[in-house]
Amino acid sequence: MKRRELFTGREPMSAATCCKPGVSRMASLIPNASFRTQDNQEVRFYDDMIKGKQVMVMMMYANCETFCPLATQRMVELHHKALAPRMGKDLFLVNVSLKPEEDDPAALKSYAEAHHALLPGWTFLTGTRYDVDTLRYRFFTHDHIGIDLDQDQHAGLMKIINDPVGRWFHADVFASTRTVLDHIHWSDPPKGLAERLEDNRKLQKRIDQDRALYGYRKIA
Amino acid sequence: MSQSELRGEQRAAENTPETDDAPSLTIDRRTLVKGGVIAGAAAVITSKKTAVFAQSLGPPPGVAPPAMCTEEPANSPATTPFVDTLPIPLPGIPTLLSPIPTKAANTGAGEAARDDHQRWDEFRPLIFYHSIAAPSLHQFHRDLSPTYLWTFNGRYPAQTFLGIYGLPALVRFRNSLPIDHPVPAIPQLTVHLHNGHTPSESDGFAGDFFDSGLWKDNHYPNVYAGVDDFGGIGDPREAMRSFWYHDHRAEFTAPDNYFGLNGQYILYDSKDPGHELPTPGSLRLPGYYGVTDIPLQLHAILFCPTANGRTEAFFDGVPAVDKWIINGKIQPKLTVRRRKYRFRVLNTGPAKEWNISLIGSDGQQKPFTVVATDGNFVQNPFVISNRTLLIPVATRFDIIIDFSQFNAGTSVYLREAAAQFVGVATPDPAPGLPIGNVVMRFDVVNREFSFPADTPPIPSTLIQMPNPIVPDDSFQWNFTRDGDPVRFRINGQVFDHNRVDHAVLKGSSEEWVLANDVIAGAWTHPVHIHFEEGRIMSRTHTNRDAAGNILSVDNVPLLPEELGRRDVYRIPSQDRLTIRLRFRDFVGRYLIHCHNMAHEDNFMMVRWDIVDSVAELTRKRREIDERRMLAGLPPQYGEGAKKGRLV
Repeated sequence: MKRRELFTGREPMSAATCCKPGVSRMASLIPNASFRTQDNQEVRFYDDMIKGKQVMVMMMYANCETFCPLATQRMVELHHKALAPRMGKDLFLVNVSLKPEEDDPAALKSYAEAHHALLPGWTFLTGTRYDVDTLRYRFFTHDHIGIDLDQDQHAGLMKIINDPVGRWFHADVFASTRTVLDHIHWSDPPKGLAERLEDNRKLQKRIDQDRALYGYRKIA
Repeated sequence: MSQSELRGEQRAAENTPETDDAPSLTIDRRTLVKGGVIAGAAAVITSKKTAVFAQSLGPPPGVAPPAMCTEEPANSPATTPFVDTLPIPLPGIPTLLSPIPTKAANTGAGEAARDDHQRWDEFRPLIFYHSIAAPSLHQFHRDLSPTYLWTFNGRYPAQTFLGIYGLPALVRFRNSLPIDHPVPAIPQLTVHLHNGHTPSESDGFAGDFFDSGLWKDNHYPNVYAGVDDFGGIGDPREAMRSFWYHDHRAEFTAPDNYFGLNGQYILYDSKDPGHELPTPGSLRLPGYYGVTDIPLQLHAILFCPTANGRTEAFFDGVPAVDKWIINGKIQPKLTVRRRKYRFRVLNTGPAKEWNISLIGSDGQQKPFTVVATDGNFVQNPFVISNRTLLIPVATRFDIIIDFSQFNAGTSVYLREAAAQFVGVATPDPAPGLPIGNVVMRFDVVNREFSFPADTPPIPSTLIQMPNPIVPDDSFQWNFTRDGDPVRFRINGQVFDHNRVDHAVLKGSSEEWVLANDVIAGAWTHPVHIHFEEGRIMSRTHTNRDAAGNILSVDNVPLLPEELGRRDVYRIPSQDRLTIRLRFRDFVGRYLIHCHNMAHEDNFMMVRWDIVDSVAELTRKRREIDERRMLAGLPPQYGEGAKKGRLV
């Protein structure tokens, strides 16, 4: 298998096959490298974790003492507060280790256990330095060398990838619960028109309720 | 039954499917089609409705979805300079709207949820426009195949709305963008009129976006600021002339603008009436839209040819753009008569800053006069003849070029300091002017008898700047890239559409300090404040040694373009700007953000509210401080902070 095939998980691109209208670009943007889960299972990042799914991606490492545990805690909290019915069904969370040299699957598992994060839909991944860096660059690049080389700059920011829609979104996990949930909701696959209109009517109702209660619109 | 439920019922009753033009959106498409076949007589109406549905559910017929490039090309295809004529955006065409716009959101007919229009009865709209966001193909150059864009009413550049102060307008923005498409933009819309004196619910708040298939009425009262103080349509000294409108969807402002969702908006009054005749009070600047008063919209794109015979605009965060676009064309030409022309220059972003100058065919820089900054007339027009004019993202400059200084038959070039990729070997059009730096060419000819005669010389004083306002309070905004984790932050926090970060009382005024004190990175932020124009009082620059210790704080003399009123403030690293603003006439949620759209999409944005009552102000300010305390940040108003005016 050629390097590129490994990377994109697709046949080599030629002028004739590179661009199929309406096909998600995600497959060519997201590495398909091999990673290991906290249960020591080998997975392909794109094929097994992303393809056809709505996935939140975060970076962490097991012996991190600053914001990785906080971010994990926050996600556990959100899981129990609101996300549980969706997790593992149509919403997934992937934590990728920033320090693959230190984090073997066992280390990830004990981190997850310590934070009560062995939950449905949750995966912790470790791989090789090359693949982790590639992933980090693809998701969290700022076109600024000082930031892009500093791996600590990426925790706490969550990418939400919606592969069928072909877009990725981001959210700050330390924002208010409502805001993080809004961001996750914003990345949901598009609904049918009738449902969109129904949502719109519900929103209007909430705005009207706010105005009746406070005199101004409290929700955003 | 609560009041709001009652209102909802009422609204539903007002929009029953039986009424002529309110389409029943609860009936699904199949039923509609079926109904059309059976009902016979109703078939015409039904098929019309079906067409609207079809548009909102997929790409409209005729515009095949793009075949995006998967890898960033090294450079765009080659293009021959000066083959296309500079296009002039069409003026918006007023129309009638159905269903008729209402004060409360007409959600039953598919209008996006919003607050009621403020001061609706006072400024009831008289002119209506319909602007439909939908995909279309646009050819950026003769040598390039068409490019898939998202446009308003199928045109790029979009229509320019021409309005008159005192004549309230309403634009119905309909979202007909396709849901299924591979463009990295998002088919959700919230249109901001930059920098209109616009009530909050029509201001395009970043979190107020609406989905494909819905529409929203943006109410533009077209009044001067100061309605409460001056009555009527406000204080004429607050007039702004050149605005622009663009999508403001949180996280996706950069791609949505890159793919074409923006346009210009011009307001006239007796001082600047849109003609050149000697009417009372008129400054008689070049003023015939499209003839002697021409918008110049600057954009930059990286193109890549695709397998299906199209040239797509590549976007991947911040692409390495290498084609300079002006009014939707690469290196166009424009025939001009030997007289004065006004150009309304606008940088539509997403991130490139422009440094423009005018170069004659002898290679020498030629003068042009700046008459307005960010749409506000400057007191004394100033000439750019020995430096470039720096145009940060979203900034507008109205400039006047007097082509009578050139001989007929010669050419003049608009130069950008950074070179673009041309790819076709072309000799330097003028000595010392490489072809890559040329944005467009003006071909000077003699004025025909039928062409409007030149306008009088530009007055040396356009307006009398009033004395700076006396602020009631002061406040500081810190634009940083720090914290834990490191992020673009304003006052220590990233954007959260649900969180207010500053509340001000309607009718009050404040002095704001905009500070960019980040030591590392040397970031420059073109900061934009919605709703009100500000006056720059001073600019300081902090000199630091390598360790970050402050060596000195220098006062930086203001440039002529900073003396007028502005709504975009460029703040290079280590600079601080002091500005004064007033908050008048409308209340609600507004934004401050870095208009480098990549920064903005990375949450370098804050929400601030204008409130109606002291009670609401007190409540919101208390909430802000409580929330800051929880986040481990110092309070802004209470103890430990500078005492606010009312709290």
